Amino acid sequence: MTLHRRALLASAGLGAALTTLGGITWALLRPPAGTDDLTIEDVLFDPDQPVLGNPQGDVTVVEFFDYQCPFCKRGHSDLMAEVEADGNVRLVMKDWPIFGGASVLASQLVLGAVEEGTYVAAQAALMATPARLSEDDVRSTLMAAGLDPAAMLAAYRQDRERWDGLMDRNSRQAAALGLQGTPAFIIGQTLLPGAPDRDRLRAAIAAARGSA
Amino acid sequence: MMIRIFLAALTAWTMGTGAALAEPGPPLDPAEAFVLTITPAPSGDLQVSWNVQPGYYLYRSKIAAEAPNGTSLPLTLPDGEVYDDPWLGRDEIYRTPVAITIPDPQGPTVLHWQGCQQDGICYAPQQAVLEVDGTIRAEEAVEDDPFGSWQADGDVAQSSGPSADDANTSARAGLTLAEGEGLVADLAGRGGALLVLLGFFGFGLLLSLTPCVLPMVPIVAGMLTRQGQGLTAGRGLALTGAYVIAMAAAFGLLGIVAAWSGANLQAVLQSPAAIGVIAAVFVMLALSMFGLFELQMPAAWQARLSRGTGATGSLGGAAVLGFGSALIVGPCVTAPLAGALIYIAQTGDVALGAAALFALGLGQGVPLLAVGAFGPQILPRRGAWMERVKIGFGVVFIAMAIWLAGRILPGPVVLLLWSVLLTGCGVALGALDRLAPDASRTVRAAAGTGLLLVFAGLIQGIGAAMGADDPARPLAPLADRKTQAVAEAVPFQTVTSQTALETALDGAQPALIYVTADWCVTCRAIERGPMSDPHVAAALGDLARIKVDVTDFNAEAQAVMKTLAAAGPPTMIFVDAAGTEAQGSRLIGDVDSADLLASIAQVAP
Repeated sequence: MTLHRRALLASAGLGAALTTLGGITWALLRPPAGTDDLTIEDVLFDPDQPVLGNPQGDVTVVEFFDYQCPFCKRGHSDLMAEVEADGNVRLVMKDWPIFGGASVLASQLVLGAVEEGTYVAAQAALMATPARLSEDDVRSTLMAAGLDPAAMLAAYRQDRERWDGLMDRNSRQAAALGLQGTPAFIIGQTLLPGAPDRDRLRAAIAAARGSA
Repeated sequence: MMIRIFLAALTAWTMGTGAALAEPGPPLDPAEAFVLTITPAPSGDLQVSWNVQPGYYLYRSKIAAEAPNGTSLPLTLPDGEVYDDPWLGRDEIYRTPVAITIPDPQGPTVLHWQGCQQDGICYAPQQAVLEVDGTIRAEEAVEDDPFGSWQADGDVAQSSGPSADDANTSARAGLTLAEGEGLVADLAGRGGALLVLLGFFGFGLLLSLTPCVLPMVPIVAGMLTRQGQGLTAGRGLALTGAYVIAMAAAFGLLGIVAAWSGANLQAVLQSPAAIGVIAAVFVMLALSMFGLFELQMPAAWQARLSRGTGATGSLGGAAVLGFGSALIVGPCVTAPLAGALIYIAQTGDVALGAAALFALGLGQGVPLLAVGAFGPQILPRRGAWMERVKIGFGVVFIAMAIWLAGRILPGPVVLLLWSVLLTGCGVALGALDRLAPDASRTVRAAAGTGLLLVFAGLIQGIGAAMGADDPARPLAPLADRKTQAVAEAVPFQTVTSQTALETALDGAQPALIYVTADWCVTCRAIERGPMSDPHVAAALGDLARIKVDVTDFNAEAQAVMKTLAAAGPPTMIFVDAAGTEAQGSRLIGDVDSADLLASIAQVAP
């Protein structure tokens, strides 16, 4: 009986795996409802989106994240280390502020840092904080990293249309993809809710590379 | 919707790498992770509680409520668990159910909350609008730009964050089923169980008017006759009463089986084997009507009945006869009974199912009670006319058999059977007899009718030879050869799982959701018949057409059927542009073109 049930579960799981893999590819390649022709390219290669890792990398890793999301931040060092070690991964950190005011401010300031060339440093500083942040925490963290939050804010305001447009697209894509929250990863064409540990991250990148 | 695909992907992925150590499972839907319950208190306050699932937590600081004028309401929140770790920082969270009170709201209150799956994901902010009476307002349509607040002046949106949860809902194929569907649900909703029972009793009375009860008359008559001279009206009534109650009890058992079996019953009733057996019973009944043999209970039962001289013995025997008779009548009334049984199966209520079918059996037995009370002498005297009536019923039984068999036999074979039946009846009516010059008007009318039947039979035969499928249009292959092409031109997207259904429904509304299976013979009839009607095909063009294939009657298929509140194939659910099933549009079982067109019209754009 037990054996029978297990066999049943296993075959059901296998079936589910096969159909879902097909389904994901289809769901990602198909324009989701309510968005105007959203394609996988729009998600992976948004022209306004800063790119980390190797911009010419053969696999793109996308993370929808929030600067106050504990699991995004806990897994961040693993993610950065793996991207660094791999050397051939395009990393796209998509700002999806879901934790309110301080998160929105953090995203605005870090995107404002793109112009000054301090995007990487600003993001790294904020991702290394504990989850809960006030707006003052955001500013003081950046200052402690030797950055100027006021200048970042000015730069953001300068290019406000671009950055607001980018964040707007991010949240629309999150909704279209049916994401429930952060973190959510897209590796190749597979979507993973939650933060994978380094081994799973490496395996997912390898799988994406294999199927490409 | 798609979320679940991805979650499944995660599961699959985890299985593949074998790294499933301390990973949290796929995150639940936020509504399932934090189950919101609102209880209005007599004082006018609203008791709001979240049942936080194990492995999930709510942020104390993210629980908020807004008055209708937008001001934030002061809430008394219980102390949470103080959480202090390098990543989360210092925060208060609830890992266990948490309850708050909203004091006497003066209008719709907006409730906000947010939480996470431990070591998994943090959900986007959730919100709900609570009406004063404690109901949760249905989700409103997503505003065109849910992030308008970002473009507002001031760099930081002061709201509790973008309404990402609204955006989330838009991505789901929200599907609202019409409520109160179905006979039992309707009756139960209006007047409770009593009305259900009365309804089934009436249904039984109607069934007693069908020839199906006829085979029971000689059984009852024989039973009463064997009582000899000592038969009084009271005794006769008692005997037939026992007979009818036993028969009703047999039907009651059927109700119990139906309620227990759930939707599986439909699968059984629709199986080619069951239909074959039932068709065979009809043929047997017909042959009995034609006088080939007298339908009787086994000699042993009859002997037992005769032996019992005391009241008890006879009543017991009558009961045995009644129970046995139900086995004969049961298959005969299958077609109408199946519908009733499916509704019973849908309720899953064993007591109600048994009682309803018992009532149906009683209703069916009422005419027999009359025979019992007044004795067999109230039955019409046997004569030539009686034989004709019996032969007429025999023809009806044969027609029923062909109609049933039509679901499992190839179309041309069915046409051939009709051809044989029609031609045979025509000849029996004297179509080919030479009319004497002084033939009566009755004879001439019969011959004329017979000629028409022979003609109709010939057409069926020609249709069969041409490979026609539809007895109602035997010359269709000749008249327009496009019919079949049209039937093929209404393609359905086939799904077999919940996720696939949701994905298929996403943005594809209005839609027809058609629950079908390979073993569902009624479905074949529908597809061959009304669904290939050019008018229906044209109307269906406006709808997204989704076929839920439950051929593999596995857990997944049953889950989908449960979601759709479908008892079994064929069930057609019509969903309007808003993702809501149109009231009263659902079609269950055999349908015709008019039903289909009416239901389509309810949801078509």
